[in-house]
Amino acid sequence: MTQQMDRPKHIGARIQRFEDTRLLAGTARYIDDIRLPNMLHLRFVRAQMAHAKVLEIDTEALEDIGFPTQVFTGADIGDLSIKAHQDYPEMQYSEQPLLARERVRFVGEAVAAVLADDAYQAEDAAEMVFVDYEPLQVVTTMDQARDPEVPGLFDGWRTNIFVERQMKGGDIAQAKAEAAHVIKRTYTTQRQAGVPMEGRGVAAEYDPASRMLTVWSSTQIPHLVRTYIAEELGLPESRLRVVAPDVGGGFGVKGQVFPEEVLVPWLAMKTGRPVKWVEDRREHLTSSIHARDHSHTLEAYVSEDGRLLGLKADISVDVGAYSTFPFTAAGDPGMAAKVMPGPYDFQHYEATFRALATNKCPIGTYRGVGRPSAVFAQERLMDDIANELGLDPIEFRLKNVVRDFPYTNALGFTYDPGSYAETLEKMRDLLAEDRAAAEASSNDPDKRIGVGLACFVEQTAHGTPDFTRRRVPIETGYIAARVEMTPDGQALVDIGLQNHGQGHETVMAQVAADALGIDPKDVHVRHGDTLTTPYSVGTWGSRGGALGGGAVHVAAGRIADKLKAIAGHLLQSDPQKIVLQNGIAHPEGQPDRHVAVAKLARTALRNVDQLPAGMEPGLEAQYSLDGPNDGTYSNAVHAAVVEIDTKTGKMQLKRFVVVEDCGTILNPLIVDGQVRGGVVQGIGSAMLEHFIYDEDGQPLTVTFADYLMPLATEIPEIELHHIETPTPLTPLGAKGLGEGGAIGPAAAIANAVADALGIEVTKTPLNANALWHLARQAEKNRAE
Amino acid sequence: MRPSEFEYHKADSLEQALALLQEFGDEGRPIAGGQSLVPMMNLRLARPAHLVDINGLGLDTIEKKDGVIRIGALVRHERYLAEPLIIDNFPAFIDGVRAIGHPTIRRNGTIGGSLAHADPTAELPLLCMLHDGEIIAASAGGERRLPATRFFEGAYMTVLEAGEMIVAVELPVPPASSSGAFVEMAERRGDFAIAACGVTLEHARGRVTRAAVACSGAGQTAMRAPQLEEALEGLELAHPDAAAAIAAFTETLNPPDDHSASADYRRALVGQLTEQALATACSRAMEAS
Ligand SMILES: Cc1cc2nc3c(=O)[nH]c(=O)nc-3n(C[C@H](O)[C@H](O)[C@H](O)COP(=O)(O)OP(=O)(O)OC[C@H]3O[C@@H](n4cnc5c(N)ncnc54)[C@H](O)[C@@H]3O)c2cc1C
Repeated sequence: MTQQMDRPKHIGARIQRFEDTRLLAGTARYIDDIRLPNMLHLRFVRAQMAHAKVLEIDTEALEDIGFPTQVFTGADIGDLSIKAHQDYPEMQYSEQPLLARERVRFVGEAVAAVLADDAYQAEDAAEMVFVDYEPLQVVTTMDQARDPEVPGLFDGWRTNIFVERQMKGGDIAQAKAEAAHVIKRTYTTQRQAGVPMEGRGVAAEYDPASRMLTVWSSTQIPHLVRTYIAEELGLPESRLRVVAPDVGGGFGVKGQVFPEEVLVPWLAMKTGRPVKWVEDRREHLTSSIHARDHSHTLEAYVSEDGRLLGLKADISVDVGAYSTFPFTAAGDPGMAAKVMPGPYDFQHYEATFRALATNKCPIGTYRGVGRPSAVFAQERLMDDIANELGLDPIEFRLKNVVRDFPYTNALGFTYDPGSYAETLEKMRDLLAEDRAAAEASSNDPDKRIGVGLACFVEQTAHGTPDFTRRRVPIETGYIAARVEMTPDGQALVDIGLQNHGQGHETVMAQVAADALGIDPKDVHVRHGDTLTTPYSVGTWGSRGGALGGGAVHVAAGRIADKLKAIAGHLLQSDPQKIVLQNGIAHPEGQPDRHVAVAKLARTALRNVDQLPAGMEPGLEAQYSLDGPNDGTYSNAVHAAVVEIDTKTGKMQLKRFVVVEDCGTILNPLIVDGQVRGGVVQGIGSAMLEHFIYDEDGQPLTVTFADYLMPLATEIPEIELHHIETPTPLTPLGAKGLGEGGAIGPAAAIANAVADALGIEVTKTPLNANALWHLARQAEKNRAE
Repeated sequence: MRPSEFEYHKADSLEQALALLQEFGDEGRPIAGGQSLVPMMNLRLARPAHLVDINGLGLDTIEKKDGVIRIGALVRHERYLAEPLIIDNFPAFIDGVRAIGHPTIRRNGTIGGSLAHADPTAELPLLCMLHDGEIIAASAGGERRLPATRFFEGAYMTVLEAGEMIVAVELPVPPASSSGAFVEMAERRGDFAIAACGVTLEHARGRVTRAAVACSGAGQTAMRAPQLEEALEGLELAHPDAAAAIAAFTETLNPPDDHSASADYRRALVGQLTEQALATACSRAMEAS
């Protein structure tokens, strides 16, 4: 697969993002900017009870409302639904109806769709629809979900467990038998929302003349949305266009196909008018998807001299009321089970993982997907073991990290080369002074300083076999790019990714420019529209740079080969020796004998009589790049230095440091931006963000007054250091990068808190209330 | 998140505003900075049929007269930070204002709006109670003077009646040898506090002669702590150790216990913040004398 670049010039350069001009000048266009003639506005009536029978939906009050309205309910939409099944015999299936039929299963589930001529009227009308419910027994905790006495959320269910499975490798009994120390702990991470700045939104219009249905959606996965809509509504996919215009953030939240994305086009077909729905913040918080909500019980088997021999894991995730498409209810627990061995070298592993159904918003993918929770558990455990054995936490990790690559772990996953020990050693140097200061602070009972770190690997850009193994409906993971040159020597790149903050419009231009010998500014990158881009899985799973960049590199390379052939012909020189750079083609070492790339393009597209005999006119190439079988493994160490006022519970993050390795760096500014953004979200997970339901399944944190996001004032300067270990598994040596920033902070901060207070930390978020209680517990422990 | 239908009326004079408010009764509401009312309307937690815009009434002066400082209802939060009458007389007030929200909120929000909105841990209600403020409410029928300590009835509830609006707040000018401080604990900078405490002191010869303590986070409204205030009389500024008196005060508290903070934490926090505010007030007093 490796196809080395000749002379990278733009790849690796600190180029500012081209798309920022549009985003910062306010000229970007989002779903809410779409205005179509005669358009209807949609507002949902959403369930106010967590689990109930729908007895009646009364719309009588709309008769006197004074403006036209239309209402659709579950009775109108038949069995249209979101189905996200995994082909496991033990899997219990849930179908999420586009509009609730007979029963609601979480507060916020759509019960009726109300259409009116403007958004204010639609909201007024939706308020006048009265739903009569008969309450059913509510399931809100993992214990209730596992209780066989509690009735199932779906007809015919045995228990409220979507699925429970195992993964194992080696011989866990042997590890246990050989162990000098057995350390068992339970760690939990709270439920969160994903919260991109722009919520979801869908608009749809049917054009009878072309028999085309166009759907605009704020999604990360336009092609998958197209296929799902086509299959569910029975439409030919060739007459369906899905456009993701500018998307104001996604973070994985918009990486599912949602009921609204199928319902809005159905309504447009049904009413014969364009329909638009724009989610409000409260809907986003209660009704899109949630994340995390894991509980992991780990049992580690450790030798006398501090070597990890094996690990046993029991992983439960409260995945809410429905399985989500395309990663399913088993996505999060399965991911946690799969990645739990982490960067450590041991060959005996056994995990039991289960997805539990409760009357809450469904869990979907959010930056990191299962890994932030797994790394929290794994890295808290590493500190707890080090503590129990009296070892330095960094030395203990250094003793156990994988050093020889490629390495095949207990589950059979092969890690490509990384820098696990080097990143740890670098971090050890960076933290030396802070660790000394923390040591010195241990006599002050009121102000305690702590240092903590987390070391992790992240499987990224995984290819089709990984999904086949998991039997998930996503099915594959490839990204396609089509590159085309115009007669003026500029290039178009049409890519199956969706750019919603990742900088694809810049990075893909850098990659194409290097291959074609032109300026990145002369490359126009288009994405997010199924009409212009080749079929791909979209943006998720940290595959944009590694696979999207690789696909552009290969496709542009094919055009470059053709340009070289034409140049060789025109310059009477060996095409193999032609170099493309700075907008010209010339024989190696003879820059004076040159021809402009623009002239070559014009020759290929217009003056085709001058082409070498028999050469096909045109300058276009397409390449689809699947991920490596086991993916490529990025790695990083995150560290936090905290100061805790034990009397008020106030914690100050004094320092946050990242040493990371994502292989070849395509654009350092973008890498830094991605890591920083992820770290900020990770700090939110560690300290603030908590989506809370009460025992009746009522959500308590439905506005930003209660659901606390990290603010700039809470974030320290984030220090970044890079080590580059290019992977042989992708064309440019790049590994996945987008999610890593969000994976380490909860573990690093929790370890810092544990260090500061001298107490084991078993759950997040570590907000002021939690820290004050931990400080009291630590005081009590010391007194005993 | 769109408000239900309402009619907007821009009042040009206080008389006109009061007449409109009387006409609309329960259906009408004044709108000042809109920083609390507009979000409430968007969430449809408030649905006034009529909004009376009181921004054009000129109620935005800060004056000293007859031993009081009179603050117009439309004074925006950020004004105090550059206002000598407040800076020189009310150090606790300045501490508190700095903790209100974010720049945009402080630029728009008004004292009348904050008091009428009556968030349980908002700074200005606590500060008005601390400084023995009087709230002046007007209606078409005349004016009422309401001591801040008797103005708040619960979370988001005041004694104001339909048709009535706040026109000003009066704070008595403290004597020269006085001091104060305010501290709060919020999860993030600019959030409404989990708990807060303000302390003012009058002092002579290195000792406290009169103290006021007001705190929030322990109940549905801010509250004064009369027994603690009494206990602080005679305290040495150089040794502001009042741990026992503060503990006696916090033991009487019965704070809310909910998902964001436990009752134990809130109680301890009020005590801790009171200690801190007292210590700062004492050291400021020593610096000044
Ligand atoms: C993100 C955010 C953070 C905030 N953080 C804080 C904080 O930390 N601390 C804090 O104290 N506040 C905070 N606030 C609230 C802010 O201070 C508001 O400005 C204030 O509470 C209300 O003032 P206003 O002028 O905006 O009132 P409005 O929103 O206009 O009105 C609020 C209520 O008061 C009534 N009203 C207004 N003026 C009068 C009057 N003269 N007489 C009678 N009734 C009147 C209105 O009818 C309405 O019921 C925050 C607000 C936001 C949006």
